[in-house]
Amino acid sequence: MNEMETMDSPVITSLHQGDENEMQSENDLDSITEVEDLVTLPRIERGKERKLLDLPSEDNLNPNHLPVDIQKDDAVVFDASETVNTSEDNAHEDSGEFVVAMLARGTLEEQGVCTKRISSPLSETPLEASSHWDEDVTAESWRQHRKHVFVLSEAGKPIYSRYGSEEALSSTMGVMMALVSFIQSGDNVIRSVYSDEHTVVFMQQGPLVLVSVSSTHQSEQQLRNELLYVYNQIVSMLTQASITRIFEHKKNYDLRRLLAGSEKILDGLLNLVDFDPSFLLSAVHCLPIASSFRDSLSQILQKAITPNLVFSILIAKNQLLTIAQERMVIEDAKLDPADLHLLLNLIGASSAFQAGEIWTPICLPSFNPDCYFYAYISYLDPPECTVCLLLLSTDNEAFYAVAECKRKIEEAMQAQNALTSIAKAQSYSVSQVGVSDLRHFMYKPFDVPDNHHQLTQFTSPEMEAPYDSEEEKMRLLDLYRDVHGRIHNTARPLKLIYHVAARETLLAWVTTKFELYTCFSPLVTKSYAINAITKLLRWVKKEEDRLFIRYPPKYSTTPNASKS
Amino acid sequence: MFLIKGMPIRLLQGRTNELQTHSNADDQVLTDPRMASGMQEKQYTPSLLSFFIYNPKFGPREGEEEKKILFYHPCDVEKNEKIRNVGLCEAIVQFTRTFCPTKPAKSLHTQKNRQFFHEPEGNFWMVMVVRNPMVEKPSKDGKPPTIEYQEEEILDTVYGAVLQQCYSMYKLFNGTFIRAFEAGGVELLTQKLEKFFYRYIQTLHLQSCDLLDVFGGISFFPLDKMTYLKIQCFVNRVEESLNLVKYTAFLYNDQLIWSGLEQDDMRILYKYLTTSLFPRHTEPELAGRDSPLRPEVTGNLLHYGRFLTGPANLKDPDAKFRFPRIFVNTEDNYEELHLIVYKAMSAAVCFMVNASVELTREFCEQLDALVGPQLTLLASDICEQYNINKRISGPEKEPQFKFIYFNHMNLAEKSTIHMRKTASVSLTSVHPDLMKILGDINSDFARVDADEEIIVKAMTDYWVVGKKSDQRELYVILNQKNANLIEVNEEVKRLCATQFNNIFFLD
Repeated sequence: MNEMETMDSPVITSLHQGDENEMQSENDLDSITEVEDLVTLPRIERGKERKLLDLPSEDNLNPNHLPVDIQKDDAVVFDASETVNTSEDNAHEDSGEFVVAMLARGTLEEQGVCTKRISSPLSETPLEASSHWDEDVTAESWRQHRKHVFVLSEAGKPIYSRYGSEEALSSTMGVMMALVSFIQSGDNVIRSVYSDEHTVVFMQQGPLVLVSVSSTHQSEQQLRNELLYVYNQIVSMLTQASITRIFEHKKNYDLRRLLAGSEKILDGLLNLVDFDPSFLLSAVHCLPIASSFRDSLSQILQKAITPNLVFSILIAKNQLLTIAQERMVIEDAKLDPADLHLLLNLIGASSAFQAGEIWTPICLPSFNPDCYFYAYISYLDPPECTVCLLLLSTDNEAFYAVAECKRKIEEAMQAQNALTSIAKAQSYSVSQVGVSDLRHFMYKPFDVPDNHHQLTQFTSPEMEAPYDSEEEKMRLLDLYRDVHGRIHNTARPLKLIYHVAARETLLAWVTTKFELYTCFSPLVTKSYAINAITKLLRWVKKEEDRLFIRYPPKYSTTPNASKS
Repeated sequence: MFLIKGMPIRLLQGRTNELQTHSNADDQVLTDPRMASGMQEKQYTPSLLSFFIYNPKFGPREGEEEKKILFYHPCDVEKNEKIRNVGLCEAIVQFTRTFCPTKPAKSLHTQKNRQFFHEPEGNFWMVMVVRNPMVEKPSKDGKPPTIEYQEEEILDTVYGAVLQQCYSMYKLFNGTFIRAFEAGGVELLTQKLEKFFYRYIQTLHLQSCDLLDVFGGISFFPLDKMTYLKIQCFVNRVEESLNLVKYTAFLYNDQLIWSGLEQDDMRILYKYLTTSLFPRHTEPELAGRDSPLRPEVTGNLLHYGRFLTGPANLKDPDAKFRFPRIFVNTEDNYEELHLIVYKAMSAAVCFMVNASVELTREFCEQLDALVGPQLTLLASDICEQYNINKRISGPEKEPQFKFIYFNHMNLAEKSTIHMRKTASVSLTSVHPDLMKILGDINSDFARVDADEEIIVKAMTDYWVVGKKSDQRELYVILNQKNANLIEVNEEVKRLCATQFNNIFFLD
């Protein structure tokens, strides 16, 4: 143990630096102090802000560390990559610490950029973060939850529970880990347990074990996919390499110290997963707007660039308006819908983002699980806060340059009165398709231009009566999940499913050109449904410029290309 | 042929081999002929890894864990290994109770195998561990071959049903666990379990289980009213003359016509008769008159009747009049009965007599004299009627579809997919993947109480239709690759009209 405890920051912080630094950090091992020092501490608030930050979430901070922290006044923004080099005092810096780097608040406030104090979105208190925090885990109401999700470390230490506190559930999570390792000891891998009521899915990702206990009848594959989102959301805050490194050096490390306050983000993610079909379809939902308008928004983004800017994303009402990408980056890899979902969740999970500008390191796990981007997040229409600008840069020093881009974008949008037009933009009603008895659908095309480099998108109308209550919405989504699970069954995939159930008729169809899920009223005939689908496909074709981002804009910010 | 184009020949070969050799080896290796020799890929079918029965209350203290184990197959497993495996099952069951105390785990999926849990009586747990099918791929450079487990091939509903069937079969011949325990303690119980399961496990053919195991249905013999009445008369007459007979069941051609037993008891008895008892007695009536297969006529030229249980030859002075005992109505009356199975040509009758009565030579002779001639006559009547009906319905054309029908109310089951179902193998005429799709649809139906219809198109372009109406389920596989949804629907409508014209199915 003592040996373990002598680990420290350089190890963790160097993670994002690539090999050289890694080597360096290995050499530093002698000098390291306890991992926790490095990991937990660094709230990089400036000294004067310190008091403001007296948030409940900091309970788990060791008070002993506080003074050290306060000394760190001049740290402005930090992140992992900086620490190895910066380090007079690197024992207390942790790049991995998302919370830390979350806000360069002090600085911003000094600049008068934000006038209102923002509390770190991640440190919003556990109380607020999870109303289920103090649930009685032996009560029937706890058992009745539709879907539990647990995250634990290989040492069996609780990291996250969707309902009930980790402390109260530590023995349950201990059992989960025991099951995982018992089966592992037989040179085997546990996958799932089925009872009449629940499906329990186990998934190991590096040093973390994720468990879903669900009464939803979803397929194991779907539940596994959801757990992967949870894992990736954690990675987006810490990076995979640093998680691995932390546990390599201290097996029984309590990762909650690093994730303090981020429960709300995971809670929010799981709620979204339940209610937003984007996750099921692994595709992005665009807000329908006239293609000319979308083009003009794209041009605004294309013009407001700075070196090392890689993605410019405009979001309204939690749906995508447009996304502009750095040309070289796209050559390399495309932005995965899963990463965008995590970003959207991050933004949506905290009201704190609504009040000013945020500069935070964020990892996009599908893009590269081991490195950070720096995200600039700002709402363009306070106080309504429905239109959000997200700029991703690879340079952690670029805050001012990126903030300048935002200013340009804001100006340009004002000039075009774009915000008013965006406010008018709305999702559409299924009645616009003009097929009676068609109640709802989800359409995911594969034949988009430049498909290879594009975000996968889908379109879907509003859920209207009879799917206008929470329960009915969920019921329809469950039906979709059922047919989706069957049609994408890993061992026995299907091409088409026509399901006549008591309260609706569903038709799911997967071709090389699209994937389509439709919901009809229960008494339609098969020939009617076929005709309806033909009409629907024709309608989507006609509207596709409005429904989808057809030609995603690109720009070049490579230093030689844009010095302006 | 309805066989699917592109269906791996190895599967067919494997199954026919099996028919010829009646191989018990579960680890049967089916070689894929498509692979060039030298680089052969080996496909292994699912097989039984272990089967055990335990009661956690029998060894609650530490150090006494072994006492929990009542039966363990294979028996040569080391003691600690047994204890560990039982411990895992207890842990899994306990763990799932955290989330729902009344509905504990039914199955555990791992990369290499699946475990099925069944608690047929309070605290008595039966566990069956089935290895996933796997593919062994040879690797170059003399390295050991890589093994790839196919984790999604085993259907929980099918193997869960197989495990429940194991218990029902045990109970049919031995009564409940708790009765044996009460009568003779753990010792008697373990003896009975050992005696029964040691043999029964050998007859589990896990590689050929499918949807029919989920239904555990009974195939009924289609009959006109007249002949049906004749049979009922016969049963009444015999029961009146031989008042020792408590229950009677009448079968023709391995299909049930009449039964006085409770449905669940009949279902498992039917399973025993058709998969175990009948196949063990070669069918003399199938052989020609002069065939050597035809056994010595037992001195009675008036009829073809003979006992399938009890005395093989009544004239034998050393004949034993011992019959197998069965347990029925275990929920309430808990009746123990002698099972007398008597057969003439294709007609078989089960007479069940209270076990407290001793069956004598006189009784058997009386039964033989009374039943033999009547049953012989009845059997040929049924045969004649059956042939007439067949002629009326016209010559059999290779249909464009295959189907399975099951009625939950009377357990009636009909399959044109299974060419033959015997103790050792069920030979189906469709690709195993299509059978699994039927299983998937069935589990979808099981979740909802309402009438439903599901039509799917498989990757191989075959259409599969499932319909559930009231308590009835119908599954159709269509052999029309280029059909569209509407044509498929028309085809199934036609099928329903001809085969199930009196049953309402959702359109």
